[in-house]
Amino acid sequence: MIARLSLRSAAVGAALALSAALVAATGGSPAAALRALYQGSLADPTAWTATLLYVAPLLLVAAGACVSARSGMFNIGQEGQVLIGALAGAWVALRLAVGGPVLVVCVLVCAALAGGAWAGLSALMYRWRGVDVVVSTLLMTFVAQQVVAFAVTTPWLLQESRVGDAAVSAQSNRLPAGALLGSFGEYPGLAVNCGLVLAVVAAVLVAVALDRTRWGFRLTMLGRNEIAARHAGVRVARLGGAALAVSGGLAGLAGAVLLTSPVGANRLQPGMSVGVGWDGLLVALVARNRPLLALPVALLFGALRAGGGFLAATGVPPYLVDVVKALLVLAFVVVGRARDAGER
Amino acid sequence: MTELLQLRGISKRFGPVVACDAVDLTVREGEVHGLLGENGAGKSTLMNVLLGLTQRDAGTIIHRGKTVHVGGPRNAIGLGFGMVHQQLSLVEPLTVWENVILGDRGRVDRAKACADVEAVAARYGLPVDPLSRVDRLSAGERQRVELIKCLRRDPSVLVLDEPTSLLTEAESAELFAVLRRVVRAERRAVILISHRLAEITAATDRVTVLRRGRVVHTGRTAETTPPELARWMVGREVAVEAEAAALGVLVAPAQAAATTTAAPVLRVRDLRVLVGGTPRLDGLSLDVAPGEILGLYGVEGNGQDVLGDVLAGLVTPDGGTVEVGGQPIDLTRPGALHLAGVGVVPEDRRTALVLDMTVAENLAMKAPMSAFPNRRRMRAAAGRLVEEYGIAVPSLDAPARALSGGNQQRLVLARELSAAPRVLVAAQPTQGLDVGAIGDVHRRFQRVADQGVGVLLISTALEEVLALASRVAVISSGRIAGILPAEEATGERLGLLVGGA
Amino acid sequence: MLESVDTILSSGVRLTAPLAFAACGEYVAERAGTMNISVEAMMLSAAYGSVATASATGSATTGLLAGVLVGMVVGWVHGNLSHRLALNTFVVGLVLNALALGLTSYLITVSTLDSQRPSQASILLLLGIAPLTWWLVERSRWGLELRASGEDPRSAAVTGIRVDARRRQALLWCGALAGLGGAYLAVGEVGSFNQNMTAGRGYLVIAAVIFGAWRLGRTLLGCAVFGLADALRLALPALGVTLNSQVLVAAPYLLALLAMLSFRTSSRAPRALRQG
Repeated sequence: MIARLSLRSAAVGAALALSAALVAATGGSPAAALRALYQGSLADPTAWTATLLYVAPLLLVAAGACVSARSGMFNIGQEGQVLIGALAGAWVALRLAVGGPVLVVCVLVCAALAGGAWAGLSALMYRWRGVDVVVSTLLMTFVAQQVVAFAVTTPWLLQESRVGDAAVSAQSNRLPAGALLGSFGEYPGLAVNCGLVLAVVAAVLVAVALDRTRWGFRLTMLGRNEIAARHAGVRVARLGGAALAVSGGLAGLAGAVLLTSPVGANRLQPGMSVGVGWDGLLVALVARNRPLLALPVALLFGALRAGGGFLAATGVPPYLVDVVKALLVLAFVVVGRARDAGER
Repeated sequence: MTELLQLRGISKRFGPVVACDAVDLTVREGEVHGLLGENGAGKSTLMNVLLGLTQRDAGTIIHRGKTVHVGGPRNAIGLGFGMVHQQLSLVEPLTVWENVILGDRGRVDRAKACADVEAVAARYGLPVDPLSRVDRLSAGERQRVELIKCLRRDPSVLVLDEPTSLLTEAESAELFAVLRRVVRAERRAVILISHRLAEITAATDRVTVLRRGRVVHTGRTAETTPPELARWMVGREVAVEAEAAALGVLVAPAQAAATTTAAPVLRVRDLRVLVGGTPRLDGLSLDVAPGEILGLYGVEGNGQDVLGDVLAGLVTPDGGTVEVGGQPIDLTRPGALHLAGVGVVPEDRRTALVLDMTVAENLAMKAPMSAFPNRRRMRAAAGRLVEEYGIAVPSLDAPARALSGGNQQRLVLARELSAAPRVLVAAQPTQGLDVGAIGDVHRRFQRVADQGVGVLLISTALEEVLALASRVAVISSGRIAGILPAEEATGERLGLLVGGA
Repeated sequence: MLESVDTILSSGVRLTAPLAFAACGEYVAERAGTMNISVEAMMLSAAYGSVATASATGSATTGLLAGVLVGMVVGWVHGNLSHRLALNTFVVGLVLNALALGLTSYLITVSTLDSQRPSQASILLLLGIAPLTWWLVERSRWGLELRASGEDPRSAAVTGIRVDARRRQALLWCGALAGLGGAYLAVGEVGSFNQNMTAGRGYLVIAAVIFGAWRLGRTLLGCAVFGLADALRLALPALGVTLNSQVLVAAPYLLALLAMLSFRTSSRAPRALRQG
């Protein structure tokens, strides 16, 4: 146990040292960069707000990624599923003539359904013609990007309405205020979005579903040994497809949260997923597909994103946080592998 | 005739299992040497040692009078040792000529390779089109390609592992005629691994019989008869009883045989399974009565693995029916057999256990489970089973991977028996286990049979079948070649049924 | 009208070239049994490396060579992680893609690189490289062992082939050519480096190999189709056509998905790829 911890901290240390070396080598000050990262992410309630804003969608995506990875149906197309979820959410918010909390719920549910359906397409292709899930979810991501781009440039779909002579952009109208997620409680200086609560609840639910229910038990069997699962009478096709749909659904929900967060642009925009799908997948990788472990990891990734915005003042490019993230993930997967090998 | 190859005192153990125990084998120039034995007798291990695929624990290899070092497959190829494995090693989407030169060194010369293939094919009477893709060839043609691949290297010692299992009668007769001619004329040797007694007597000059990792006979083939060989191969009854006594297992009591008149609890009719167009089960029928142990004996590759998969619900047959307790089972429904009360101990434990999940989880896998299973109850139930079946586990939360082979097998057995099955199907249940574990597993089978469960024991080890079963069915080429009551099942009679003589 | 056809064709050729270079590499990696998604990382980091080197030395040729080297480094890392440490190849690919994007974005922000005069001369290399790739895979001993490793690793290993070594070598080749593709895009086509300048071209290359049913000729044809579609998209506004360009951008991925749904194509996939 101690060996594991020290191996992990060594990995984290190596990743951070490499990042620091990069900063130093390019004429920056690692200490200043670290300070800025802290300032932007955790120093005060405003910084925390920025961090938590990212934590919500990251955690939702990661929780979903845990489900698909556990079932052996490895989904890497969350970036696209996030967008499709946001698209469905925006459509409902702008077109559905209901108001109040009902609308918010409709937006969230439809986003989740759409994300799940998008991932479900990959499950269908796998069952029908054996198309590799990893490849199809990846390729579907790029299709999803174009679907959203199409929607926001097509007037009869979601493109913003022309106001006077102003040029229209490739984005939807602003969502009505009634469709936005409210704050969760009142705190001095800190704005805790309902999305965060939703994400934490989802992560806990996924953890419970995976580790405490028959469904999760069978899912784990399927992922670890498909033949043994069939021996035990598991309906492999149905369960695997469900796992993929759930992971897509949670990614779609993340899209709706991005869309309806009170701090965001509150419009459907082609670039609005800002890599949350990819990052959420990395969070799950670092957390080794454990939704509860994904909580602190998502916090770390969210803090890095939020802190990245503060780097500019130190002359260190904000892209540093992307390097740090990638190196961290690399360190964790290599250490995880070494540990597995050691246990055998 | 001079000695071409001598293996002296070859020993090899895998964990607790002794695969080869000081085996001596002498092969002379110009001879076809038969190597006979049941599955697990040590033939394959011995040959893998010769081919550098397995490192021996002890012993020397002498080739043309010189002690040689065989550190790996390339060494063996360099010394002129070649082997055609029973499981072909052809890359199917490649062409014949590409497969033949795979593993060579140097430039790829298609014209020369094709010419080589044709030359070897003509010399040994193995016609095949060098430009054809292997996956478009029939099973027999693929076998030929594998032979050509080996023969092209002009091996001084050629090992053929069950080479005729995929060939027609005429093809194998032709092959052996050619081999004998070439071996004599060119001062080479062939080691022929086979379980077909007729083939051994017809094609070999001398024969060595292995049993349980030891040489039990070696001598000129002409001086023996098939019944004698059969007896050596599967051992004498006296030995079986002695071994059974040593393991603390009673030979199946006569009263079990009496219960066979009861209505069968498992009834299999006309099972047909096609794999890649060739029938692996070809109209197999059998009955298992409650309280009896029916032994299904045969040499590996005759369809018993497929039968096991069908009864485990992994393979849906192309034809035929399975009835449990008189009720026909819908074999397309996952878990239908399990629900009907068929417990399965599969040949490969890794298909029954999820090695990365815990002992407790593995034990709970097939039990009825509520939507929110209670972990504490699951562990408590697991604790009882672990104790009852004497499974040595570091902890109930340890992954099944951490258990020894014997304890993994006990784990499977405990799970399958705890579901109170009406039928227990066990395939090679003691493969790779040590003596203590074997005895334990055997006692379990005896006990469940006494409780009225119908047991189908699929095994390639005759000792095991004779020690446990009240009736012995012999499987050959996907169908039942014959069924004998245990007391009539002498090694000789079974060996002849198995050997197709 | 003829003029615009001419423009579309010539820009189509230039948009095809980076894809075609990289596809020659990806094709080899996949034939050896690695579904390599780090091709994006290879192209992007090579694009940066080539511009940085060209800017430092003033030589576009040196830049191209540096791009090849950088691509090979990525391939070497991927190969050792996937086929020595036995990490999941998709995980490795995802991480490398994220790392390459982060690192190049970082570096281009802290460094100022001279712009080069673009020279498309190196496009001619394709005339040599495509046949060479074909010859290597279909006719050489190395390629034979490579294909055996991709189709049936067990049989290949029994025959004495070092399957993992072959796959690592295939990834090196892939890195070299994907690197050349990225370097051509940066030094040959644009003359400078922009943040995320490959913009998912690596994924297009993967789509092209799938669309090409793991045959080199059809793969290159796929690259040409994708390149032309891109050129057409860029030319549309000038032609006064108001067509939603998204269909053209999504087409390669849809074509690849459709190809995988067809049994004729999927049956040609190297068998080792089917287990991921």
